[in-house]
Amino acid sequence: MSNYDKPLPQTTPWTQPFWDAAKEHRLLAQHCKECDRTVFYPKLFCPYCYSETLDWREISGEGEIYSFTVVQQHPPSAFQDDLPYVVAIVRLKDGPQMLTNIVNCDPEKVHCGMRVAPAFDDVTDDFTLVKFRPE
Amino acid sequence: MAERIRKEAPTVSDLRKGEVAIVGVGEVPTGIYPDRPCLESSLRSARQAILDSGLDKDEINVVIPAGTFFDAWFNTNLIFSRLVEELGLTGRASMNFQVVAGGASSSALLETAAGLICTGKAKAVLCVHSEKWGSMPSQEMIDKLATFGISEEWEAPYGLSMNAAAALITQRYMYETGTTAEQMASVCVALRKWAELNPNAMYRKPLTIEDVLRSKMVVSPLHAFECNRLADGGSAFIVTNRDRARALNKPVAYLLGSGSVVTHYAVSQERNLATLGYAEAASEAFEAAGIGPKDIDLVEIYDSYPVFNLMALEGSGFCERGKAGRFVMEGNTWPGGVLPMTTNGGMLSQGHTGTGGGIAVLVEAARQLLGEAGQRQVQGARFAVETATGGTYMDSHVTVLGTELP
Repeated sequence: MSNYDKPLPQTTPWTQPFWDAAKEHRLLAQHCKECDRTVFYPKLFCPYCYSETLDWREISGEGEIYSFTVVQQHPPSAFQDDLPYVVAIVRLKDGPQMLTNIVNCDPEKVHCGMRVAPAFDDVTDDFTLVKFRPE
Repeated sequence: MAERIRKEAPTVSDLRKGEVAIVGVGEVPTGIYPDRPCLESSLRSARQAILDSGLDKDEINVVIPAGTFFDAWFNTNLIFSRLVEELGLTGRASMNFQVVAGGASSSALLETAAGLICTGKAKAVLCVHSEKWGSMPSQEMIDKLATFGISEEWEAPYGLSMNAAAALITQRYMYETGTTAEQMASVCVALRKWAELNPNAMYRKPLTIEDVLRSKMVVSPLHAFECNRLADGGSAFIVTNRDRARALNKPVAYLLGSGSVVTHYAVSQERNLATLGYAEAASEAFEAAGIGPKDIDLVEIYDSYPVFNLMALEGSGFCERGKAGRFVMEGNTWPGGVLPMTTNGGMLSQGHTGTGGGIAVLVEAARQLLGEAGQRQVQGARFAVETATGGTYMDSHVTVLGTELP
């Protein structure tokens, strides 16, 4: 695991709880106590009503692929050995959209609207990336 | 989580309508020129634009260089008035400052210049750009571009590249509209038809749909020929007020209206991936201009990847949703077609000079209206639409220009 040489999430103090939960294979999003909205990705304060009263709630990992691409050539350097790999935007049932990789699936079979579930990838001792697999 | 809140239509008319005009353009050839300093590209483009305008150089009182990314020192030179000194404008220029919005810098420059002119603070503004992305090692550029409009926390860890961001948009667009691979490829063919006529373009050999579809798949559904080629280049344009423009006694390109909306920073957060903000931007621009798509003689669409041409054609009302691919494939945007599109060949054929890719598209729009487009000249062109988008397609800009007030 210490050999992991791809970019790791550059976190901020207010996003760290998301990554701490990911290590426990749980998905968190912020919730605004003032305007009752879900906030994702995590923000310093609520972007809708500017309240600072954000707390964390566990959200469902169920979702579907909004869009995807199979990267076959010219990736960022650190991903050369991973070709081909699938980059996707997943739209979760609870609303948030996330960039991710689709794993445990033939890239040729990936399609828009495909239902997916989280596949937590413990890439280092400190970070677990939230990837997705077919449901 | 709420869907994006739609921008409200503007309630006041655009105060700048017809008040400012682009009166001169300049450009150096786009391509791979490792021995041509960026400074030379800036200076030659600026000089050509000033000479083309018919203004005296000493009338230029604001200089706005767009951001350059290949060399941090060169970029700070631009911020700290290097061009003012090199162009002999010290003591004349009242302001030099940088404007940069990635691929949308064209619109950012024009909007900034127009605002300054309308308040009377600026008499004539030089907007200028140069870049040397074509001479950079390609993997270095891929890595650099993977930091432009891409989140270091939420996206980079999953291997998102600039090509992949465009592919995500293209995939969803094709899924929602049923646009075919052949239709998508036909955009590249249409652009090449124009580049064949453009001495400043990087790629001028004829291209077929089969060539595009036979090129290697880079990031599905995008083939190699559907990904822009990074290039070295430079371009410039001059903006002045209506009275000064009229006194030049030559065709000029008046700003008639513009509209724009920023829809995201991170492409993964975009909830209208298959349309972006072109419809909102276009309705704002057309309302301000007081004309509509039917009045437009040519469109200069920011084309870093072919999907943006189709999306902008549809969002701006030139084609029904899902019909732009067929419209382009039928040759309607070729030389001699009913709606000439991106007549310099765009980033897919003229070459992508970073923030300058879009500036070249705006310069081409002005060049057509000034009647200086040579073999590419659209005869009798009076009204043109220009579009831009930057970063990972964070914003959609639509601008209406014309040789006269409608």
